Amino acid sequence: MAGLTLRLPFRARADFTWSQAAVAALIAAFLLVFLIVPVVTVVYVAFADGAGGVTLSHFGSFFSLSLMRESFWNSIYVGVWSVAIATIIAVPLAYFTVRFEFRGALLIQTLGILPLIMPPFVGAVAMQLIFGRSGSVNLLLNDWFGFTIPFMEGLNGVIFVEALHYFPFILMNLVVALNNIDSSMEESAQNLGASGLRLFRRIVFPLAMPGYVAGAALVFIKVFDDLGTPLVLHQTNLLAPQAYLRITSIGIEDPIGYVASVIMVIASLLALWLAMWTMRGKDYATLQRGYAGLARRRLSPGQTIIAYGWIALVLAVVLAPHLGILLLSIAKVWSFSVLPDAYTLEHYATVFNDSPRMIGNTMLYCGIAATLDVVIATAIAYLMLRTKVPGRNALDFTVTIALAIPGVVLGIGYLRTFRGIEIPFTEGELLTASWVLIALGYTVRRLPYALRSCIAALQQMHVSLEEAAENLGAPKRRTIMRVVVPLMAGGMLAGFIISFMTAAVELSMTLMLVSSQNDAPMSYGIYLYLQSAAGRGPGAALGILAVLIVAVGTYLSHRLLGGRANTAGDIQRMA
Amino acid sequence: MTEALKKIRVDFENVSLAYGKTRVLTDVSIAIEPGEFFALLGPSGSGKSTLLRLLAGFLQPRAGSIRVGGEDVTRVPPWERDIGMVFQNYALWPHMTVRQNVAFGLEERRLPRAEVERRAAAALDLVGLGEFGARRPGQLSGGQQQRVALARTIAIEPKVLLLDEPLSNLDAKLRIHMRGELLALQRKLGITTIFVTHDQEEALSIADRVAVLDQGIIQQVGTPVELYDTPANRFIATFVGTINLLRGALEAAGGGTVFRSETLGAIPLAGATAAAGPAEVAIRPHALQLAAPGKPLDGGRSWLDGTVTEREFLGEFVRYNVKVGAGNLVVDQPHYMGESGFAPGTGVKVGINSAQIKLLKPA
Repeated sequence: MAGLTLRLPFRARADFTWSQAAVAALIAAFLLVFLIVPVVTVVYVAFADGAGGVTLSHFGSFFSLSLMRESFWNSIYVGVWSVAIATIIAVPLAYFTVRFEFRGALLIQTLGILPLIMPPFVGAVAMQLIFGRSGSVNLLLNDWFGFTIPFMEGLNGVIFVEALHYFPFILMNLVVALNNIDSSMEESAQNLGASGLRLFRRIVFPLAMPGYVAGAALVFIKVFDDLGTPLVLHQTNLLAPQAYLRITSIGIEDPIGYVASVIMVIASLLALWLAMWTMRGKDYATLQRGYAGLARRRLSPGQTIIAYGWIALVLAVVLAPHLGILLLSIAKVWSFSVLPDAYTLEHYATVFNDSPRMIGNTMLYCGIAATLDVVIATAIAYLMLRTKVPGRNALDFTVTIALAIPGVVLGIGYLRTFRGIEIPFTEGELLTASWVLIALGYTVRRLPYALRSCIAALQQMHVSLEEAAENLGAPKRRTIMRVVVPLMAGGMLAGFIISFMTAAVELSMTLMLVSSQNDAPMSYGIYLYLQSAAGRGPGAALGILAVLIVAVGTYLSHRLLGGRANTAGDIQRMA
Repeated sequence: MTEALKKIRVDFENVSLAYGKTRVLTDVSIAIEPGEFFALLGPSGSGKSTLLRLLAGFLQPRAGSIRVGGEDVTRVPPWERDIGMVFQNYALWPHMTVRQNVAFGLEERRLPRAEVERRAAAALDLVGLGEFGARRPGQLSGGQQQRVALARTIAIEPKVLLLDEPLSNLDAKLRIHMRGELLALQRKLGITTIFVTHDQEEALSIADRVAVLDQGIIQQVGTPVELYDTPANRFIATFVGTINLLRGALEAAGGGTVFRSETLGAIPLAGATAAAGPAEVAIRPHALQLAAPGKPLDGGRSWLDGTVTEREFLGEFVRYNVKVGAGNLVVDQPHYMGESGFAPGTGVKVGINSAQIKLLKPA
């Protein structure tokens, strides 16, 4: 790249330097090869007639299959209901934390990170043991009251698991939005005669709406994307499992899998577009310097009971899968009983014997992905906010689009795009058979998280800090190294952790791309274990290990940077 | 809207407020006359905004009561008070258009649609923004936003109009312009108006009466001229305008009284009959006169010898720092074309008109 740095005469300087353009081009090339081309390939195959022409016949045959029609409607049904249930859980919690003085606020905020470190398909197994037909809750209900509730029957189970895992996306976005409302917004309405529910409906809720919509769209996309939960719960009549099953059982040539993929992409893009359209021109962060956020009120005794009751209930249900997995990992036998009958540590021994390689693979892939993410995200953030390189906003847009590409779809795209391609300097090793694609896939999938984190970090940094360094004689590159990067460190670390954590629990794409046991990461291993009843114990043990590794890694990197970075805050803001 | 509103009086009676042990307001009593344009003036943290928020109902006093039109409103919630407030940051709702913002209070009063439309339009016309109803607040300039906030508040025809630092977010030129407009609007509507400011020039120039607060205590209530000419204490004297404060003692001498300054020497007082003892006096800089030594002096003044130490040219006048004895006096002299004044280091005579000396009450 250094060779490209031409020194133009100062006065005739263009709006950007060649090195900036080179960085932008390099990132664009990466996104082109590992995001755009694979997705376009999937779309192309769905419409290709095999003779170079375009056809809708694959869509016709897709919708002529009753299983596919059912899967399509089921996916929409599950997505919408998951958002609805997540809303019912999240909105009261958000309102309590922001509006009232009470002690549970921190606890609720901490909930926000839980779904990031425990994938929903792991929780699904525990949920069946606790909420299933013969699970703890229904056993107790039946004993005491003589009835049961079908929490986990059919699609209910998927909806329940997804809502419980992803409601924090709505919660966190809503809390941020509510906290950004200046108290004078509410006071002026009171001053003009509004109060109570009308005040909430006409002022507070509309102002917080963009935050809610962002969270809801994210939940919908996540649910659409999730492959592990339906597979573990044996609900395969949904789009993601169908796409996966068609490609893995019938083959990479089967067009029905591609049609399902295209429909998933369209649905996710629609949700994303709807969210952006709703939020367009509505930056409602009304907080003014020297003003406070919404006034916190003291709860009356009655309200206190309701608030704490709701929070306790939600906490109990949300923590249930996590506790369930912990119990499962040390349970000897657990079936048709409220709690396990006997305890053992042998599952952990099994896991340490069977799968040390999987743990190492997860560290390797996620380490590579998170590192690449932070480097690319920092570069894009800098190009966007500090330079005038053409196409800088297109980079941001493209990365954001990656958010709406389901893992299954990107996996299928990789397999199709890179089939037959050999890795250079190896003896005929296929790219599609190598772990390299897994790591790069993680990189692309988690880039949006890292990017938002880095952009936020750079936005908070006033440009005068850099100008001061330049004024004192530091050239651009030195300024970036000595001022920009150190000041962004908190945001970059947050981006790294969030990329790492979420990549470690990624399954949709992993299932598509793992070609040999040797290359499998932990998430794949957990899934394999959970396939059989005998493997539940070791699967749960491996899940607990994954959580521990992520937790320890987060703690260590936080310690490494010391008090300089408010990483926890950054991560919560992201989530 | 164009006809004058009913004029209402406002009374604060022994109002006190504290956050924990921090006393914010201590025994504040103010009687505001119907139709008055009343200013609450004080440095930041003096409690002036708190007083406004108490009247609007956003805070509850720990003790005392607040009456509007003779009626005790101390426990009435904000939305039932009918007291319009214009917020310092305007607090316009970004999710509504200008017209929706202005119509909000009328809708909350469940007025018929047609009347809401009519009164919202009238309020916008009154502030000269009739054309801007369809815009969003974010598309308006700071001055326009303030007019919208004003229109939104007067549209409900409140009993009292509250303005919280109404001009602080505007640039200097616009501030003076809006000052005139606010006064004209208030006179037209005849509505009792209370505004908070930390800018003494602003308060003195448009208010009928001013209450000066410091540390949550009312220091003085009076007309601008009263505050300027007869400051009740040392705080008022230094806070309102520039002033020279001199410590010393009163002595009987001949038929009258003499103030013996600790640093400047003896100055006779005109017609003062105060008892002898320690005292403090205040003299405005423009009440002093400078003369070159050797020039004929005005016999009506007492003259002291001094040396100019600093000279500050301010346009209409020149401000001098003059060393007199062991002390220092600030002297303002009018500036006329072609005059060069006194250079630093020049020896001068400082003339004091004893009628312009204000004897302060001992603090």
